[in-house]
Amino acid sequence: MLLIRHLVLPVHRTVPWGQVGAAGAVGLLLAALTRTGESAERLSLYLLRAAILVFALGLAFLLDDPARHTTATVPTRRPVRLALRVALAVPAAAAWWLVALLLVPPDVRPPVADLTLEAGAAFVLAVAGGAAVVRFSELTRPGRSLAAGLLTTSVLAMLFWPGRWALFVPVEDERWGAAHDRWAVLLAVAVILGALCTVEPLRRRVRP
Amino acid sequence: MTPTVSASGLSLRYGGTRALDDVSLRLTAGVTGLLGPNGAGKTTLLRVLATALPADRGAFTVLGHDPGTARGRQEVRRRLGYLPQTPGFHPDFTAFEFVDYVAILKEMTDRAARHREVRRVLDEVGLTEVRGKRIRKLSGGMRQRVALGAALVGDPGFLVLDEPTVGLDPEQRMRFRELIAEAGQGRTVLLSTHQTEDVAMLCHRVLVMAAGRVRFEGTPAELTARAAGRVWSSTERHPGAKAGWRTGTGTFRNVGDPPPGAELLEPTLEDGYLLTLDGAGAEVAA
Repeated sequence: MLLIRHLVLPVHRTVPWGQVGAAGAVGLLLAALTRTGESAERLSLYLLRAAILVFALGLAFLLDDPARHTTATVPTRRPVRLALRVALAVPAAAAWWLVALLLVPPDVRPPVADLTLEAGAAFVLAVAGGAAVVRFSELTRPGRSLAAGLLTTSVLAMLFWPGRWALFVPVEDERWGAAHDRWAVLLAVAVILGALCTVEPLRRRVRP
Repeated sequence: MTPTVSASGLSLRYGGTRALDDVSLRLTAGVTGLLGPNGAGKTTLLRVLATALPADRGAFTVLGHDPGTARGRQEVRRRLGYLPQTPGFHPDFTAFEFVDYVAILKEMTDRAARHREVRRVLDEVGLTEVRGKRIRKLSGGMRQRVALGAALVGDPGFLVLDEPTVGLDPEQRMRFRELIAEAGQGRTVLLSTHQTEDVAMLCHRVLVMAAGRVRFEGTPAELTARAAGRVWSSTERHPGAKAGWRTGTGTFRNVGDPPPGAELLEPTLEDGYLLTLDGAGAEVAA
């Protein structure tokens, strides 16, 4: 615990807040668009989803670490270091989400709990993706390529995801409840994958 | 002498490429040089020994601990300093802040003792004057010294240095040699380099790697002795030479099997290295 206390400040300084902040600002702008007129109000769900996506793209940079190789063999374990970064980002993400929700007029605000689930899953997926890149590659700054991959995947998922497993459904759609069950599964899978990817292997898997 | 590092049968593949092929070695206190052409497996071996990369097969111990277990790896890392081939930094940190950050990651939680250690290390690598300067404003040589300072912090018993003198000008390289020689006092240093002069000047032992295997292990004098009677001078490049080049005096220095009556020259470590590589079937640049 003492070690964590000493690490908080330097790790905070290693987090790429610039990218996260820029994405957050763009996301809030999108959320604020719901106040610009009647048609924007009708689109509030989609604007909020776009805002979530943009902020998730910013979080894809969270595990960028130019000093990764210089600090690769220190005794403080990788899961501890990554968890600390994530822990530092959680309050910022929560605050951002609260502001984004408050920017949407209450009468057109989509169901908060369900949309919070979507946001949580998107954010965790972005960070878990970063953990996976760190686990399986030598990249020190995976954020840019990861964000590009996330954006492409999200657009493709919105366009081509099979209807019976739909995730992006409108509020009035009868599949809304089922879609959010799937969001919950997605969140759980992302949490597990992210946690597994933080572990440093002792052996490589030998291919025959 | 008890070896600091003892490895046997280390093997590692990248796809179809054998990066390490049944490597066994023993490292004792002092500076051991690791020579080899690009792609020989030097960096892979260093990363495996530094616990940055697990091997596919084989085992090794560092200072009596087995990095093949979670606890053993932790113990090794507590006694290890590692300077990677291309060290990265957080550029907004000052030299002091960065080494201090690494010191915290090395579990030094007593602030006063840690700051003393960081100041000692920065003094050792000659960065006391610029310790408050942001890393982005430091020269390449100074950044390399910051990375060496980060490796040295905590007084590790085993120091792994991957081509630390690459890209440095001759004066910086000389300064770095002094630092490595100092670092080699009382601890085990494994130094990967392309510079045979570094090995000749610093190392008590030398390993030559090619195609993932250790082709030579011995003293620099023994490596040099491999070329005894196999270096000669001629007025033109000898067709039978393994390597040959025109020297500043206009004559050719040939390395290989000399013709009868050739004017033999005193061999250098580089000659022995070239002949060792040639024996390993590796490409020798003429």
